[in-house]
Amino acid sequence: MANTWGYGAMTNHLGDMQNSKAIIIFGANPASNHPIAMQHILKAKEQNGAKIIVIDPRYTKTAAKSDIYCRIRTGTDIAFLYGMIRLIRDNNWYDKSFINDRVYGMEEIFKECEEYTPEHVEDITGCPKELLIQAATAFATAEPGCLIWNQGWTQHTVGSSNTRLGSILQLVLGNMGKPGGGTNILRGHDNVQGSTDMGCLSDTLPGYYGLAEGSWKYFASQWKVDYEWLKGRFKSKEMMEAKGFSLSLWMNGVLDEANAKNNAGTPLKALVCIGNGISTITQTHKVKEALDKLDLVVFIDPYVNDAAVITTRDNNLYLLPAASQVECSGTVVNTGRSAQWRSKVIEPLYEARPDEEILFDFAKRMGFYDEFTAGMGKGKDFTWPEDATDEIARSLKTVGFQGRTAARVKKHTENWHLFDTTSLKGRGPVSKEYYGLPWPCWTQEHPGSPVLYNINLPVSQGGMGFRTRFGTERNGVSLLAADGAAPVGSRIKGGYDEITSQNIENLSGIKLTDEEKKLVEGKNWKTDDSGILVRNALKAGLAPYGNARARTIVWGFRDEIPKHREPLHSFRQDLVKRYPAVADIENHYRTTVRYASEQNAQNWVADYPINIVSGRVVEHMGTGTETRASKYLAELSGEMYGELHPELAAKLGIRDGEMMWVYGTGEGKIKIKCKYSYRVDENSVFLPQNFSGVWSGESLESRYPAGTAPHSFGENSNQVTSYGYDQQTSCPETKCSLVRIERA
Amino acid sequence: MSKPEYARMKFYCDEDLCIDCNGCVVACKEAHEVPVGINRRKVVTINEGIVGKEISLSMACMHCTDAPCQQVCPVDCFYIRVDGIVLHDKDKCIGCGYCLFACPFGAPQFPQDGAFGIKGKMDKCTMCAGGPEETNSPAEFNKYGQNRIAEGKVPMCASMCSTKALLVGDSTEVAAIKTYRSVAHGKGISTQSYGW
Repeated sequence: MANTWGYGAMTNHLGDMQNSKAIIIFGANPASNHPIAMQHILKAKEQNGAKIIVIDPRYTKTAAKSDIYCRIRTGTDIAFLYGMIRLIRDNNWYDKSFINDRVYGMEEIFKECEEYTPEHVEDITGCPKELLIQAATAFATAEPGCLIWNQGWTQHTVGSSNTRLGSILQLVLGNMGKPGGGTNILRGHDNVQGSTDMGCLSDTLPGYYGLAEGSWKYFASQWKVDYEWLKGRFKSKEMMEAKGFSLSLWMNGVLDEANAKNNAGTPLKALVCIGNGISTITQTHKVKEALDKLDLVVFIDPYVNDAAVITTRDNNLYLLPAASQVECSGTVVNTGRSAQWRSKVIEPLYEARPDEEILFDFAKRMGFYDEFTAGMGKGKDFTWPEDATDEIARSLKTVGFQGRTAARVKKHTENWHLFDTTSLKGRGPVSKEYYGLPWPCWTQEHPGSPVLYNINLPVSQGGMGFRTRFGTERNGVSLLAADGAAPVGSRIKGGYDEITSQNIENLSGIKLTDEEKKLVEGKNWKTDDSGILVRNALKAGLAPYGNARARTIVWGFRDEIPKHREPLHSFRQDLVKRYPAVADIENHYRTTVRYASEQNAQNWVADYPINIVSGRVVEHMGTGTETRASKYLAELSGEMYGELHPELAAKLGIRDGEMMWVYGTGEGKIKIKCKYSYRVDENSVFLPQNFSGVWSGESLESRYPAGTAPHSFGENSNQVTSYGYDQQTSCPETKCSLVRIERA
Repeated sequence: MSKPEYARMKFYCDEDLCIDCNGCVVACKEAHEVPVGINRRKVVTINEGIVGKEISLSMACMHCTDAPCQQVCPVDCFYIRVDGIVLHDKDKCIGCGYCLFACPFGAPQFPQDGAFGIKGKMDKCTMCAGGPEETNSPAEFNKYGQNRIAEGKVPMCASMCSTKALLVGDSTEVAAIKTYRSVAHGKGISTQSYGW
């Protein structure tokens, strides 16, 4: 999404879904994964008459509440979307003025969709064409419609294309930048948006600044440390600016010596894992091998990380008990970009310590504590976490954090009852502000922006166009918004570039004093600490980041426009030739990743004839490290299982409740209980991803330190999910895998 | 002099809204520290996975006015409060299970203690109204759980319901919410999200 219109975040918010007239839930299961979000969706259905359209390989609890349900084969989302776009094109349902004014490159999409006739889409996806036509008609004729997706779209080799084409569908229909529309990606768990904003990724500094030299220099200034000192912490400048290993691929940096050339000539030697269920990615048996081989492994968690019992290493394995969420305070950011202050309820129990104390201790012993804490600007007398929150507000200008100080976030949280839950708008002492100051929140007076890219509001009240992020023209065609497509009250009536010290006077019409000129010299809206550029832009009704077109073409991507590609382990071998995977990629997050060679290694479906559908159960979160330690949740969902359609089970000779062996295309195998279910089709098995603590039939309970074992255990489904990673982001392919099943 | 008006406390669960998240079940168990195996409240899904036919409903003691459990109890341990909440006295209960025969909803629960599953005293939903012990005393909590009604609070299950499918309160209030929802159907967003 960031590559389509500027930011990669949910564009609207939870309450806003109530304003929709049609909601597509595609590759998401909010009834199990976001039960509270379901309240807004069901309220839209009842009070607002919204049609609920669920497109999913499995008839989920969410699907049970739908008006239209389309069952598709896993990994065929793009074909379905192109089928919708083709119908919309042919029926003239697309928003011509929106596309004309605010989109670049739609012709390419309208060309690509040509081959996706309803009949062809039915062949690829398995969904009857009548249902495709019903879904497209209901969605295209609704005003407005919102699109919800989740890991069902992102965890694919073509996940980045799925999310781009979903965004494009909303551009086709002109559903962007309006209440009740948008692309509403429900983030996977508590504060994911917050951790993404903070750059808990290997390819960027906080605030999506990337890793370029200029970004490091900017952060050196924000952190109040010397750039040269910072650079000296790295092996080389090149490594400082190179993407790191990703969560899904790090183990190849340990196991495969050939990848060392991408990692300054050395394999990975140590792993420090803070609050991450690292066994929720594919190829868990490789994770185990890597954990066994490392020189040092440290887990920092409130509960024992299940990866710590998966490894069989017997030394240099450390578990540091961390405080839980009720033992800490600070901001959390929800899926709709709103921040809330979380107060400490109790002091950390037993030996548990808050994350920052543990990290401060590391910094002290490694000799850079003063530099580590310098950014707050308070020397040794800082208040945690308030001063850090204010430092974040000062530094993360790209996402407009300037107005999100600790004091303002606390004021909102304490006045929770004064905000409207549908519009987020406040009353009384917080009137004209939006709950949690959803970013961008440009200044300390700014109310926050509940709906991104809404040009029907002035920028000072949360309005904006699409971001000027990809240049101002390409091949002689302007990438800026057309005349007339600017936020209300804008001095410039059409598109404009992002704000810099060079163009501020011209665009805003405000003359800078000599003193101001000196302060902003060489700066732009992302780097100007004085705030003059942003303030003057807002005075002139301009969005600091510019006003451009969203784009359907992403130059530099492997697929410049989204393309359907069959999964690496496809259930339809006959379609692989026509829709092949991309070529293998060298140095993809520092490792070599197989695509075409894996897809063509053998006729996978001949030996592994059953499709995996993966997902979560409502009772558990992630690997279930925390939730399986609750006796009541363990009672409700106490063991690993696989859902089989009774027809398939009958063919395999497995009765309901019997144990079965599931063999993956890699080396993994799991022994789990068969649960008869009509939720899946006759070619598939559903595997929940929330279990761990049993390894290919062997219980790992004895490996937990005394008194720390959870109440329920189960095989980890990712032992049998197939090899595969997103061709852009390296997100693991947990959704398209093939397996063989036998009665145990 | 006018007579005091008493509430008639009732549960209501909307099958169009219940998503089988089990939030009510866990909220109940956590609030009252109910032993594992005892389910004062259950969510039942029928036609699971059958396209267009799957529905879920959260069920507990329905607090009947003419309560069959009370009628069949050989030791007369049940009593019905003026607000309609059906409670029982665990000191009188002999754990015979007749109430389970009589109850149309499968509400009575029997703790399984010991190797041979000895029947314990019956346990069931109290609508968060405790029992005959002194209100909010440790003895009441140990035998019956929290007494939220005495504190003016909504029972835990409904207060935790993620979609507000589950309602509880004076039957006229519950009916009024249902009527309001029915009138508001398809008319646009007219209420705040929570407790709509």
